[in-house]
Amino acid sequence: MSQTLLISGPPGCGKTSWILKRVQAHRGPCGYLRLAGYPDEGLAQAPDGGIDLAYLQDQCPRLLDLADLDQALAPRPEHLLALIELPQFQPPTESGLGGVDRRVIPQLEALHLKPDEHLHFGRDTALPRQDTLDFSSLQAWERNLAGSVWDPASLSSFWFELVNGAYGDVYRAKALMNLPDGRAFFCNWMVSQEGSQFLPLQALAPPDGRPERLSRLVVQGKGLDPAAIEVTLADCLLSQALPHSFPSA
Amino acid sequence: MAHAVISCLHANHAALEAVLADIDQQGIDTITCLGDLVGYGPQPNEVVELIRQRAIPTCQGCWDEDIIEGLNACDCSYPSQLAERRGHLAHQWTADQLSEENKDFLANLPMSLRRDRLLFVHGSPNSQHEYLLPNMDAFAALERVETAEADTLFCGHTHHPYVRELRDGSIRVRVQEGVASGGPSEEREINLPVRRIINAGSVGEPRHGNTNATYVIHDEQTGTVEIREVAYDVERTCRAIVESGLPAIFAWRLRHGFEYAERADDASHVCER
Repeated sequence: MSQTLLISGPPGCGKTSWILKRVQAHRGPCGYLRLAGYPDEGLAQAPDGGIDLAYLQDQCPRLLDLADLDQALAPRPEHLLALIELPQFQPPTESGLGGVDRRVIPQLEALHLKPDEHLHFGRDTALPRQDTLDFSSLQAWERNLAGSVWDPASLSSFWFELVNGAYGDVYRAKALMNLPDGRAFFCNWMVSQEGSQFLPLQALAPPDGRPERLSRLVVQGKGLDPAAIEVTLADCLLSQALPHSFPSA
Repeated sequence: MAHAVISCLHANHAALEAVLADIDQQGIDTITCLGDLVGYGPQPNEVVELIRQRAIPTCQGCWDEDIIEGLNACDCSYPSQLAERRGHLAHQWTADQLSEENKDFLANLPMSLRRDRLLFVHGSPNSQHEYLLPNMDAFAALERVETAEADTLFCGHTHHPYVRELRDGSIRVRVQEGVASGGPSEEREINLPVRRIINAGSVGEPRHGNTNATYVIHDEQTGTVEIREVAYDVERTCRAIVESGLPAIFAWRLRHGFEYAERADDASHVCER
């Protein structure tokens, strides 16, 4: 029997990690959809830009993209587990499906999706308890890094500075970053959790030429300084002409 | 007689003033400086002039050398592309700011200073760029002190103060004549007396876990060494960094006790010109 779950919660509460575990544990076909969510008073939603989908598809290559209209119109495979991720700052006012943000329903209907269950982090005990924060104001900033390759040691310095407040009070940062040896890393950080995650993607890009896969940095926080981030990025990314020229230190 | 050793001032005038005031308060009038007067910080001329005004004997640091000779250290002395670009920016800014008189002063600094069996260098007796880290191989560390014919070697460059005693150093040599014919052999063991490496830390860019400037006081009679930490007006330097047009990230790093000159991963690397 197929099942469609809507999983909501504030930034960094662990929605994508929980979804990955469900997908890995499910024996049948799985599909994934990430909704953009809506800004709340003074709280900007970070444009994910496909980072979560790209990471999940790397870990589970057969994961169906439910945002694909062709998928929506095709007959659903049997025993499909459809997981819908929705960033949502405030807890729903009602329990169960009655608490689904009504603004997302037309989006779901357009994709022929109808949740059987709605779980919200911090409300439903079926989800792990996470030390999530109550945000009062939040800016979001993103940078498309398609085709970019990082000097690995510079990436380490930049990420340290980013999550320690050199470019404003960062509450949440996630990214897909390419390295010169063909690897890419999913970098993930949340102010309420200790340390950063640096998870290697399973797929390697060809070591020659520029990687064509999705690469993006998304930051949420307060008093962000995008101009300063851009200056540092320019000093960290390897030049177009010499992607492999920097000696490893 | 107690004497003070300071190092790695890095154009941080507020830190230098605070350290000199602390030394004066101890009643110490012999001070030796291990170089890196300039680089990264916002007051290169003020720092050089204060050292000159106090007539503090100083040896040349890697920054003092590079600012005169040009950026001739090889790229791998930087741990990352980011550190390299920031280092070059700081280099260019400092070179533009320094007066010709102060450049001449830096150009004429000696590589090392010696007082009896005490040797004062910036990095190591081999090079201003070599790091003598506290966990360096003991034999290599002993070799640096012994071949320089010193009992105590004062160094800086790592920005992390420490005192290391090298005890029980011995070298065993066996010489055999006529190996094929099984000739007589002679074995000799040379026992070395205790040697010490004393790292003075950094006045202007501390890297020991907080923002305080560090230096050392050494008593030649008793052999005691005191690593001193001195609080100073960090915000004054941070404001000057931003106002001078140097990258604001330097101020952020200084304010949090993080180094802005990141150390190369290969600490034993010595640049080949």
